[in-house]
Amino acid sequence: MSFRHWVGIGVVGLSLGLMGNSAMAEVVAVVSSRSTVMTLSRSQVADLFLGRARRFPDGIVALPIDQGEGSAARDEFYLRFAAKSPAQLKAHWSKIIFTGRGQPPLAISNTVELKRRIAANPAAIGYLDRTQLDASVREIR
Amino acid sequence: MLCLAAGPAAGEEADVPMFSLSGFGTLGVVHSDEEHADFVSSVFVPHGAGYSRKWSPEVDSRLGAQLIGNLLPRLSATLQLITEQRHDGDYAPRVEWANIKYQVTPQLSVRLGRTALASFLVSDFRKVGYPNPWVRPPDEVYSLVPIFSSDGVDASYSLTSGDVAHTLLVGYGQTDTRDSGGGIFHGRDQWTLSDTVDYQAATLRFAYQTARVKVDTLNAIFEGFRQFGPQGNALADRYDPNGKRVTLIAIGGMFDPGGWFAMAEWGRANLNSVFGDRTAWYVSGGYRIRTITPYLTYARTKANSNTSDSGLALTGLPPELAGAAAGLNAALNAVLGTNPVQRSISAGARWDFMKNVAFKLQYDHKNLGAGSAGTFMNTQPGFQPGGTVDLFSATIDFVW
Repeated sequence: MSFRHWVGIGVVGLSLGLMGNSAMAEVVAVVSSRSTVMTLSRSQVADLFLGRARRFPDGIVALPIDQGEGSAARDEFYLRFAAKSPAQLKAHWSKIIFTGRGQPPLAISNTVELKRRIAANPAAIGYLDRTQLDASVREIR
Repeated sequence: MLCLAAGPAAGEEADVPMFSLSGFGTLGVVHSDEEHADFVSSVFVPHGAGYSRKWSPEVDSRLGAQLIGNLLPRLSATLQLITEQRHDGDYAPRVEWANIKYQVTPQLSVRLGRTALASFLVSDFRKVGYPNPWVRPPDEVYSLVPIFSSDGVDASYSLTSGDVAHTLLVGYGQTDTRDSGGGIFHGRDQWTLSDTVDYQAATLRFAYQTARVKVDTLNAIFEGFRQFGPQGNALADRYDPNGKRVTLIAIGGMFDPGGWFAMAEWGRANLNSVFGDRTAWYVSGGYRIRTITPYLTYARTKANSNTSDSGLALTGLPPELAGAAAGLNAALNAVLGTNPVQRSISAGARWDFMKNVAFKLQYDHKNLGAGSAGTFMNTQPGFQPGGTVDLFSATIDFVW
């Protein structure tokens, strides 16, 4: 907790503080309700989104789907799961893009469309505010 | 990044855009208080900070653009152009990367074409300022080997066991690098082997590189030595870089849990010639306070081989030959003396003041070893080897 606390202060400081005062949105990792993936650690989820891992533990090639750049859910997701601020995430992908090693996940800004795409593909993984969950997707714990 | 989707491809890769165009750049100035030598970005460029200009925009400034084409689900092509100071002082764009990549399996990929060599942790993206914490990578380590790219093939294999991910790379290729004097530095039979190990926030890297060198700029000197019998031949055999193997061993690690980072790298390069056998290392760390990241770096490089040689014995030579021999000895020692001995302390800060843009300030204090010009170039009459040099740099790095 103290580590997350430090990162929070160091990286997004003010914005996290403000979110903490209002009803703080909680972003959770989700897969299709038809997915066989039940549980992943935070670092396993982060590895899929950062391009460090391509497959789920059962060997299926994962299709991570991001939210749009600048969205609060995206910023919170990367802070909580990967301890990266938006600038650190951009730096991470700049290393990979400009060495031809890969490209960032597809990003979908519309969360309704995002949820539909995740629900439709058992290999997809995304993240949503907990309040946006329904029977078509399942939280990864 | 700008993406163009050109019709859906087959299968689950349907969401990958056909082409994506992105770019990066750095606008920077660096000031040096040493007026009789240049601080340079590379040994292959003519101008730097200090002698050429007190405040030089030419050391760190550059622009790059990259096009990636996802031609088929498993086949992609990368083209990256960079404009920066070239060997001739010109800024015409140069092809930094041009390769096609085939993803044989999710673990194995093969590339054919030009790639930047990943000798050290940040070598292959050292020209992209934004992802790097500093104004520039420590020149003590990053100048160890004068070979930065490869035209050839490589294969990369990723191996995951639990939380530990290995990326093994083997590459073969060649390169030609032009210097400011019009010469060409050829690297042939270049082999690269590396293993990058990622474990959570930690990365470790081991690399081995070897290449055969051909360089024509010093031919006159060594042909001269060969006119002086067995003694001259022995000196030419020892110091002539032509046909010699360069080997590099590099070990590096970084730890970046988010709120701070630490990095260290060590390398030893042996050029088996007048260009010497060198060891260099650095340690660096920084702490992120909101959008500001102050950092400190300590770096050293030393020559394991001799930086001077008594050369041809002049006693007993007829006067006209003695003069020529003394000239050759001086030319040999001038090159031997360029093997840098240097230590630096750098302090700086990065400020992520707006999206995709970072502003950096850096101060470097360089101590040159006794009799050495360190990593400085274009030394002029009046230059005092073995002194100290202070550099002050400011850059704006961006990506799009």
